[in-house]
Amino acid sequence: MLSKEERILGWYKIPKSSRILLIATTLVVIFLTPNLAEGYESTWNKIEIDSTDDYNAAVIDSNGDAWIFGDNGIIIHGEKMTNWSIVNSPIDEDILTAYSNEYMIAAAGENGTVIYKEIGSNEWFEKSADIQARINSIAINDMNEIIIVTDFGGIQILREEEWLEINSLTSENLYDITFEENRGLISGSSGLILGSEDNGLTWEIRETPGIISESEIVSIGFYKANRAYAITSNGQILKSTQEALTTTVGYSWTIKEIESENYTTSLNVNLTALEILSTTKILLAGDNGYVALSKDGGNIVTPQLLPDGFENQKINDIAMENAFRGIIVGNNGNVFYTENGGEDEPVGFEVIDLSNFSEFVDFTKDNLWEGLKSTIKIVIFGILLGFFLGIILAMCKTAPTTLKQMIESDLEKTLVLFWLAIPTSILFTRDSGIGLGIFTFLTIIGITILLDYYINKNNTDSEGFLGILIPNNHRNKVIRLLGLSLLIGMPISEEWGFDGGAELIYSALNDFHDFQLGSDTPKLSAQLGYIFAPIGDPSAFFRLIIGIGLTYLGILFLTVNGSFSKKTLFAGKLFVVVILWSIILTELFVDFNINNFEFSITNLMKYLLILGLGLFMTRKIIPAFSWTGVELKKYNITIDPWSLRPLNSLATLYTDFFRNTPLLVQFMFIHFGVQLGKHIQNIGIDVTDDLTMISSHLGPLDSLFSPMIDYVSESLFGPGKRSYLSAIFALGLNSAAYQCETIRGAIAAIPSGQMEAGRSIGLTYMGTMRLIILPQAIRICIPPLGNEMVNLVLNSSLASVIAYTELTRQGKLVVAITFQIFWTWGMVMIAYFVVTWTLALLLRRLEEKTRIPGLGISGGN
Amino acid sequence: MEDEVLIIENLEKIYSGGVHAVRGVSFKVRKGESVAIIGSSGSGKSTVLRCINRLIEPTLGVIKLNGEVINNPLANVNEIRAKIGMVFQSFELFSHLKVLENITLGLRHVRGMNKEEAEKIALEVLERVDMLDRIDAYPGNLSGGQKQRVAIARSLAMHPEVILFDEPTSALDPELIGSVLQTIRGLADEGMTMVIVTHEINFARDVADRIIYMDKGIIAEEGPSDIIENPKTERLKEFLSAMDDE
Repeated sequence: MLSKEERILGWYKIPKSSRILLIATTLVVIFLTPNLAEGYESTWNKIEIDSTDDYNAAVIDSNGDAWIFGDNGIIIHGEKMTNWSIVNSPIDEDILTAYSNEYMIAAAGENGTVIYKEIGSNEWFEKSADIQARINSIAINDMNEIIIVTDFGGIQILREEEWLEINSLTSENLYDITFEENRGLISGSSGLILGSEDNGLTWEIRETPGIISESEIVSIGFYKANRAYAITSNGQILKSTQEALTTTVGYSWTIKEIESENYTTSLNVNLTALEILSTTKILLAGDNGYVALSKDGGNIVTPQLLPDGFENQKINDIAMENAFRGIIVGNNGNVFYTENGGEDEPVGFEVIDLSNFSEFVDFTKDNLWEGLKSTIKIVIFGILLGFFLGIILAMCKTAPTTLKQMIESDLEKTLVLFWLAIPTSILFTRDSGIGLGIFTFLTIIGITILLDYYINKNNTDSEGFLGILIPNNHRNKVIRLLGLSLLIGMPISEEWGFDGGAELIYSALNDFHDFQLGSDTPKLSAQLGYIFAPIGDPSAFFRLIIGIGLTYLGILFLTVNGSFSKKTLFAGKLFVVVILWSIILTELFVDFNINNFEFSITNLMKYLLILGLGLFMTRKIIPAFSWTGVELKKYNITIDPWSLRPLNSLATLYTDFFRNTPLLVQFMFIHFGVQLGKHIQNIGIDVTDDLTMISSHLGPLDSLFSPMIDYVSESLFGPGKRSYLSAIFALGLNSAAYQCETIRGAIAAIPSGQMEAGRSIGLTYMGTMRLIILPQAIRICIPPLGNEMVNLVLNSSLASVIAYTELTRQGKLVVAITFQIFWTWGMVMIAYFVVTWTLALLLRRLEEKTRIPGLGISGGN
Repeated sequence: MEDEVLIIENLEKIYSGGVHAVRGVSFKVRKGESVAIIGSSGSGKSTVLRCINRLIEPTLGVIKLNGEVINNPLANVNEIRAKIGMVFQSFELFSHLKVLENITLGLRHVRGMNKEEAEKIALEVLERVDMLDRIDAYPGNLSGGQKQRVAIARSLAMHPEVILFDEPTSALDPELIGSVLQTIRGLADEGMTMVIVTHEINFARDVADRIIYMDKGIIAEEGPSDIIENPKTERLKEFLSAMDDE
């Protein structure tokens, strides 16, 4: 065994800063790697055909053979979509469109060229129309007659070997025609849709939404007799349903509000092709390699990937044999074939013998492996978040900073806090949201601390914070002024200003009162509804809490007289006074509402009378009690309002809340209730958008930065990342509460002399904490922290309820597909065991590595 | 007078539980002088010592270091403490740091020195306390006497105006006391200003220029070291005879 110094490539040979950088980089890479749910491989397979012409149209005939048509009259035959060959073409004009029904296939293109063949025969016949225009679309009606459409409203039908012109009633360009039995539909420019009920002999204009009057409807299609869809070159999707049993489909059209595009009506893609696979399943294609599938009639449209290297190829047509099997064709000789509608999951195609364990493991191990990776990712970042937050909370909890100290020795800092940081951040919160508020708060605190450091560094004579030192004889006045401002607020202008504690409490109570919870039922149980008032109006709840805090501080500061001492109160007296005043105030404020308070002398007199009576009674009633033999003065309590520790109170509030609510509920509240993941995602997208904009001004560096920004943005804030972010935060926030308690215990276990020793050599409290107390405390609490981390791994299984595809959820999915309950859950359990056990071993090793002599009971050897 | 390093005037301390530990204590320490505070347990001598570097906030009274009032809430307590060394009864070495690091910590993070400068000073002071051979040991592997010598070196390294010793030998086995006392005596000979709270009457007599006897929170008797031989007050006599009986 080599010693630390002898190992040439040893970890400790690397400089400390590089080691930290290395760990940080690894973590960032782990953090950014995509989850299974977001990454998928293309299942469109490239078909190699010896041609690079642009393919414009494709059909699949009733034998299951594919036919592809393209520029220069090229025709390709795909026998059963497996044997591909170029067949002899009777023409050399570009073919633009094709159509097939049970009996025949027809295709058409430039200069009025039309060709057709019967299914079963191998011979193509040419029967071109006598026009020079290009034929935009071709179709075959129920009587096996070919119909073509062209620009400027041209429609011609091939009847008894002769082309007949049909009145289209319009001069718009016509782009697509389709038939279902004797019903036909034609789509065109300016949002035009024509319909026919008589095999295309007469056409009428159908009603379309006004929003598409500028759009070109490039493709239209039926699914049997009960659904029709159309698409426009502006990326819009139109739908027509059968409105009643007596009417037929295609009469009235609605535009889809696409949920996956935030309920806008456009996919923002120039669409070119549409294929309808069932009443609700449609395939779309467009420019730049856009292929997308919607399984719910265009509500959620999921883009699909083309194979590597072909991502941006233009797709011109889609031909599907059924809902799963078919081809897409495009420019540059591209033909892609799929067996499952282009989707990434091969559901229901391979029949696997899942009662054979080795087949089962083969089938499921990828899912479980992906689940395990997802679990490890949220666990790592949950642990890190929990640990850092836990340390901060533990330090807050053990901080001895009392109000007395804040005011006595840190008055200047407190003033910056109360007169600058908090009001400004509240203003920003009110105007621009909580995120900016917190940011402002931290920025102000940070800048003042840096400024203070700078001033005191360059000027050794200066004392106080920021070089300001309020003289001793004026300190009390400033404190009283601070108290006053906390109580009544700070009006700056007519619109700007900050409410004081009294106003906050009052407005919050008024808002709660407006709920009228249980007001018409006098039952106590109905009144208990007020327990849930914080959820009914969170802002009022926070105002109430902050208001109570500010009032407490305000009264305390306002009554300061130089000695920050404790007070002895007579508990019995206090009790009586509180009861009495509650009754008086309730009387006073019953039906009192600030919004409809009528100021009048009568009212004023009434209130003054009640208040005066209250004052009189409080003074008189206390001695009255001694007649009854109750000596109120016996029951004394001593309160010391100045010994309140604000940091400790806040941290206690946090830990108490998170430790006294179930993690499962926290998960659901954070993800579905607060939608934390969504908010973080939105903020993240905003920030990356800004970064992209900044990057675009950097000239040549842009090509370096913008892909990086895109990658980070996509992998952190891309679609489907919400549950990932929520899961990390739910786990981390919960774990922080528990880790805080563990670390706090360890800090408390360090002898108080260590802090005294640190302070006595001149270190600050934080310096002693960082350099002396925490390094020892963390060593002591590695075993309990390890326990907590193992718990966190196990708790991560709850992330499955917010649809984060971690190990447990993968297990559920596998069970749903395979029904092998024993094997699946057994394997999931083993996977968890391996992770937690490894973690436990690593922590045990860490404990041994960091052990130092003389610390803790295990440190003796 | 100019050479008075430390002036304590009317010091009083009432703990939050209501215990009146120190009831008006005043004394002065001149530069280069070593003052020993003796007294029975609970006489308030440790409280006085801790008030001097504000580990305990005095309730009333004034403490001046080099003429500057230091128990003012506005004074920078960290700067003051860096000028006052403190040696504890239970050593309070930082157990996660090696001997050398224990000493360089204050120099680097309070005085802002770089590692080389700090180590140079650390080696100097470790030589003075004769601990050069154990610079890479952890405190947990040292004997009590060695620990206390390292603790003395730690406060010496900061070049303090005055060093406060809080019963530096009470936690040591009798055979280990010698080396620590030797070290402190050496410091006294070099002219270090020291305030020593101790139970070692003989050591106090040997080292201290002046002895303060505290009882029930007040200074009962004060004078040059020969007051041990010739106590004037009954209370000191009783205390000394009680110590002799042990």
